[in-house]
Amino acid sequence: MADRSAFSPESLTENRLLYWIAAGLAVVMLAPVIWIVGLSLKNNQELMLGTEAVFRAPYTLKNYADIFVNSQVFGWFLNSMIVAVGQTLGVLTLCSLAGYAFARLEFPFRRTIFILVLFGLAVPEQAVIIARHQMFNWFGLHNTHIALMLPGMSSAFGVFLMTQFFRAIPREIDEAAMLDNTSQFRIFWKVLLPLTMPAQATLGIFTFLLAWNDYWWPLISATKKEMFTLTIGIASSQTNFAQSEGLGFLSAQAIFASLPVVIVYIFFQRHIVTAVSGGAVK
Amino acid sequence: MSAAIQINDVTKRYGALTVLENIDLEIAPGEFVVFLGPSGCGKSTLLRMIAGLEAVDSGTISLGGDRIDTLPPGKRGVAMVFQSYALYPHMTVSQNMGFGLQNIGVAPRDIDRRVKAAAETLEIAHLLDRKPAKLSGGQRQRVAIGRAIVKEPQAFLFDEPLSNLDAALRGRTRLELAQLHQRLGATMIFVTHDQVEAMTLADRIVILNERRIEQMGAPMEIYQRPATKFVAQFVGTPAMSFLPVSGIEDGARGVTLDVAGAGRVETGVHLPATFARENASLGIRAEDAKVLTPGEDGVPLRVKVVERLGDRAFIYGTLSDGTDFVVEDAGRSTVAAGQEVRIGFDPDALHIFDSAGRAYHHTEGA
Amino acid sequence: MAESYRRSRWSHALFVVPYLIVFLTLLVFPLFWGMWLSLNKVDLFGGAEFVGLRQYARVLSDPVFHQAVRNTVIFVAVSVPVLVGLGLFLALALNRKTRGAAFLRGLYFSSTILSVTIVTLIWRIVFIPNDGLMALIFAGLGWEPIGFLSTKGWSLFSVGVATVWWCIGLPMMLLLAALQQIPADLYEAAALDNASKGRILTRITLPSIKPTIMLVAVIQIVMQFQLFGQALLMTNGGPAGTSRPIVMYIYETAFIRWDVGLGAAASEILFVIILCAAMLQYWISTRKEEV
Ligand SMILES: Nc1ncnc2c1ncn2[C@@H]1O[C@H](COP(=O)(O)OP(=O)(O)OP(=O)(O)O)[C@@H](O)[C@H]1O
Ligand SMILES: [Mg+2]
Repeated sequence: MADRSAFSPESLTENRLLYWIAAGLAVVMLAPVIWIVGLSLKNNQELMLGTEAVFRAPYTLKNYADIFVNSQVFGWFLNSMIVAVGQTLGVLTLCSLAGYAFARLEFPFRRTIFILVLFGLAVPEQAVIIARHQMFNWFGLHNTHIALMLPGMSSAFGVFLMTQFFRAIPREIDEAAMLDNTSQFRIFWKVLLPLTMPAQATLGIFTFLLAWNDYWWPLISATKKEMFTLTIGIASSQTNFAQSEGLGFLSAQAIFASLPVVIVYIFFQRHIVTAVSGGAVK
Repeated sequence: MSAAIQINDVTKRYGALTVLENIDLEIAPGEFVVFLGPSGCGKSTLLRMIAGLEAVDSGTISLGGDRIDTLPPGKRGVAMVFQSYALYPHMTVSQNMGFGLQNIGVAPRDIDRRVKAAAETLEIAHLLDRKPAKLSGGQRQRVAIGRAIVKEPQAFLFDEPLSNLDAALRGRTRLELAQLHQRLGATMIFVTHDQVEAMTLADRIVILNERRIEQMGAPMEIYQRPATKFVAQFVGTPAMSFLPVSGIEDGARGVTLDVAGAGRVETGVHLPATFARENASLGIRAEDAKVLTPGEDGVPLRVKVVERLGDRAFIYGTLSDGTDFVVEDAGRSTVAAGQEVRIGFDPDALHIFDSAGRAYHHTEGA
Repeated sequence: MAESYRRSRWSHALFVVPYLIVFLTLLVFPLFWGMWLSLNKVDLFGGAEFVGLRQYARVLSDPVFHQAVRNTVIFVAVSVPVLVGLGLFLALALNRKTRGAAFLRGLYFSSTILSVTIVTLIWRIVFIPNDGLMALIFAGLGWEPIGFLSTKGWSLFSVGVATVWWCIGLPMMLLLAALQQIPADLYEAAALDNASKGRILTRITLPSIKPTIMLVAVIQIVMQFQLFGQALLMTNGGPAGTSRPIVMYIYETAFIRWDVGLGAAASEILFVIILCAAMLQYWISTRKEEV
């Protein structure tokens, strides 16, 4: 008991052994990724003879350069960008408007509609995807960017999140603005919306990731190769694996495709964690 | 710039709950009126109805002779300072103050001038480019007041604007508000449940209780001549002591009362013939009773607690029948708990209440 | 009648109309249209013939569907306890304020943000016979190599490994958030009561986060019942359908064989299963608030 440092509750819950086991297990998280990075830096012919070549030089960036030569991957990348950015902007617009109204305005059936929207949270994608596919077929919308963006905008999660956020802003702020002769839309636009920027960032990043990573819907909606998103495109070039493309090139594609989300993750980790845990833990 | 406010027969309900009923109130131009009352009595509600933040269920409100209760808040020509200040967090101080003017299309140069002028008066000119998060509580409070001033409203509404400040700052701001009122000469309504604020600031205090106005009048009138037992009890610290009256006899100077714990008490109060004599009570403020020097003849009081405030002391005790009683004594008082002392009352400062709570006081020259 | 901004007005609803249009056309309508489709025999050109519950009878008597249900249930029964247990372990281990712990939390969560394509690509490359990382490790240890993706049993196992690797971040983060909400004074009181670390874990920490553990379990059940991409991309359901999950069955019937009615019926069955789990989730999370 020579330790005279102040008592901290952490000392009761922290466990060195658990911590070091967790640190050791991190190898399992990292090893596959390092393996892929290694492969991506190797010449494909050399890898054909045996992948243990990863452990020795020479290394090359040729696989990455090939991505830009192989225009298809770059086109898929653009598709993914257009779809993810478009869907994100759409979600932010729709959810901010709806969240404001649900939190602040009175209109007939407000509660009923809100509860109905919340029920939407419980609808899994596979329960609607067949019918959606037919609907987009009716309007000949498949193989368009719009078709890839739209379904994600119906997600109830964003409305829920924005409503919570608008509710957290004190009502006196609106009231002060009303006494300042501010019109309804201007209160929304000039006074409240700027205050929801942290929520916009959270929802925006979260939506971007979902859209970027979406697999099911693009798989059935985008059937033309030039309309593929990166997820679908890379998956399609995997089918006849190793033989045609070469492990190194495949690995480089995978890394290239993940670059945007990894960058977003590195810079906005806090927002992403808030978004995924916000819904479940109050 | 200042305007009269008329509140006519206003009623407010929340569902089945009636919060205010048939409120009638006239406020003169330039008057400083304080709404005082216990928590939940509807002070804020009445203020917010004037501001237009709550709808009026029936009755009318006019400002400067024009009916305003049908107008949206921004069109009423009133400004409000909220308890939480409600500054726009993402705007600088000057943007906060200018926002209302911008909304009605005042030229940017005029906005600038008015904001600067208001900031000068409130001594916040050096803060104009800061955001509210970087201000102290007192500074935010000034900005909130500044935001009201630049609008040059016909009336200012304050909802407990000082309650988030510490005691010292509160006292200072109170004085400054009084000066501001003098300088602007604007009509002001101020909600509080702090009696000191009410007494020091008000031209007129409006006491609200249980859906209605209990009494309105100048601060000293409210204090010295409370209209009802509720007001007598609510205003003043420590609260007035009440003694049950068992008999009343008319006399030349006033009535003489039989009081269980105090024997016969002579008063300077004349009661009308219609006075209902059952269940009357006698009210005495601590400063209207005094501790007599030993040997003098008076009412015995068994002392329980002595509260010393420095300049004076309050002596809490019980009369012979067990009724609680408070009496004020000098700061150097030697009275100690457990003692029995004799006390006497000033006959002209006594208040008599009938069973319904109506008050009767000594009348000058009667 | 006096004016109030709180007054109910139809015009206020204009703010929700844009979202509602999208919500109704892309979620509500397809939900009911899907139910309708499941009662029809739909041909390739969109023509439909009402057949009542016959599609459901077909699904329920389809041995391939039986196998898919069995695979999915086994998958959920194994992966969910692993995810919850491992998530709890990581949350307990990494709930400290050091930089190292913050880095490890970030690392364990990072895989969650990758797309299923990337995750499966990574793990397929790890699992490929002869040249994969696993094969190299096995060779190094002198063990018999296993065809992870092409052997009965191992294929579903491999899908599970990739899934746990991909999904472990969410349970960990949810449980961490719950751990951090335990008031510190609870631990201070326990310290004054001389409680040992073990007792603090079993008597304070775990009971405090029990509702979240339940919630995490249910969320994972809902998510893992929808297993699809990993199986499609890693094993294509093989060998012999031993790693085909329900959603993949739906995908194959509706979008490969274009037996839309049958696919719709299967998806309604899965929807009911998931709805039950979601209701459980709602029940747990609302019950939690009352505590
Ligand atoms: N939106 C509302 N819905 C229902 N009841 C309300 C609402 N707002 C206020 N009330 C009720 O109306 C009564 C008066 O409230 P009000 O806020 O005016 O009290 P107050 O005098 O300002 O009290 P305080 O001194 O605590 O601020 C209270 O009983 C309150 O519960
Ligand atoms: Mg109030």
